[in-house]
Amino acid sequence: MFDLETQIHLWSDHLRAHGKLSDADIDELENHLRDEIEDLIATGLTPDEAFLISVKRLGNVDAISHEFAKVNTENLWRHLLVETVDSQAKQQNRRDITLVVIFALLAGTLFKIPELFGFGLLDQDGEIKIFFIKNFSFFILPFIAAFFLIKRKSELKTWATILGIFILAAVIINVYPSFDHHNTEFLTNVHLPLFLWLVVGATYIGREWQGSQGRMNFIRFTGEAFIYGVLVMAGVMVLFLFTMVIFKAIQIDVGKFLTEYFLIYGGCAAAMITVYLVEAKKSVVENFAPILAKIFSPLFLIIMVAFLIVMIITGKSPFMERDFLIGFDFMLALVLGLVLYVISARDIRQPANLFDYLNLALIMAALVIDGVALSAILFRLSAFGITPNKLAALGENLALLGNLAGLAWLYIGYFNKKFDFTKIIKWQTDYLYVYFIWTAIVAFIFPIIFKFN
Amino acid sequence: MNVSKDLMAASATPLILAILKENDSYGYAIIKRVKEMSENQLIWTEGMLYPVLHRLEEHLLIESYLRKSELGRQRKYYRIKESGLAELELQRKQWKIVHNALARTWNEESNS
Repeated sequence: MFDLETQIHLWSDHLRAHGKLSDADIDELENHLRDEIEDLIATGLTPDEAFLISVKRLGNVDAISHEFAKVNTENLWRHLLVETVDSQAKQQNRRDITLVVIFALLAGTLFKIPELFGFGLLDQDGEIKIFFIKNFSFFILPFIAAFFLIKRKSELKTWATILGIFILAAVIINVYPSFDHHNTEFLTNVHLPLFLWLVVGATYIGREWQGSQGRMNFIRFTGEAFIYGVLVMAGVMVLFLFTMVIFKAIQIDVGKFLTEYFLIYGGCAAAMITVYLVEAKKSVVENFAPILAKIFSPLFLIIMVAFLIVMIITGKSPFMERDFLIGFDFMLALVLGLVLYVISARDIRQPANLFDYLNLALIMAALVIDGVALSAILFRLSAFGITPNKLAALGENLALLGNLAGLAWLYIGYFNKKFDFTKIIKWQTDYLYVYFIWTAIVAFIFPIIFKFN
Repeated sequence: MNVSKDLMAASATPLILAILKENDSYGYAIIKRVKEMSENQLIWTEGMLYPVLHRLEEHLLIESYLRKSELGRQRKYYRIKESGLAELELQRKQWKIVHNALARTWNEESNS
């Protein structure tokens, strides 16, 4: 069956993918195409004939984008920070920037408040106190959450819930006693930010947090925020070093001032700016995470297959220390990231393509390698007993393994045309619950089970 | 007969402005109108028309607005502005000079 609407959408998506046209341009061209099709149908052609001829008449997409690009070359480059045209969007944009500035200042000041009571950031040895490491996420994430709550015009009930979760988490974490070695505390430090980031996710998605569409957007947002965050932070560091050096030239040491003020406020500002930028640019610039994922997924596949082959030929089994298990966790997380960001940029209407098969191959290789590693660690675990670190690493491994195994299974079903691609997306977005629950368990329940040792 | 590309490009602005002077219009209708006025001799492509429209808009000769069509679709209409009318008048004079000069030489050709 020829479906005219789908075909027209595919055509305009194709234009959009070229990235040189604004949304308004695309709307205009799509309207043009529809006019042409209607006229042709009126003269007695069937919809598919009319569609073919109209598309042909409109000329190929390359030529059109090229012509358009001649007019708005400069627009292509200054998209992101360009002044928005209509006054309402302008107002909105100003409000967002004001929020970013205020929140960055508030977050930075929050860091400084304990110092007023004689509780500085650094201890005698010049190292950051564990209190600050543990509570790091509470200084910045609530402001990011508030930013989205304001932007999404959330109801009071949502505000209360989110605020409640943050306060509850902060109280629990700080009530727990702290002993030397900080084994479970270390785990909390790693898992708490992940847990709270998912809470921020709920505010990002807003009302539709139960749908897979909104969650997918949050996954996209996370990837972009990571990349932009790294770039912005790199900028902050360059500024930091530059300031150090030029003041050193006139024999003034600003190191203390810089670490105590510049880095704290700069770091908070970097986080807020990142969030604002990613939110503002989402439809303007092509997402970067999927591009990185597509570049690196074939390379990862090659390395992993090579590793497998060498492992089989030499007959060496992976050496099972805790660090190595964490290494394999990272491998799984990386593979998941690659697969996920390839999926996130995929048009669900398109048939299976090369990257889908690559994804499946990547998952398979990861599953086999991890299977070998896991069987080794399980043996060791039973021999040497359980520590919180080992259990956490193992839990991570199983959670990621479950995720990837599910993806592999669904991919195979999809290739066999048992169901369509939306099911894969639904699985992946639903799986966020597992991570939410697991990070919560490690952050809040592990310390109790292992008696804060 | 095919009109040369340069001539097409040169005549695009006055033609568009003249059509918009008659009444507000949108891309597809403009192409149809040009075809009609030139008795099917001038066939414009979209890749050529829309960039010109956008350039004219940028130069503040015309402005665009959205209006719902009978079918309920949002269409981008273009309207000529005061400065556009002035530009049209200027172009008209220029084209007339060229036209007169050409007409005279061709008359002399046919007379001789």
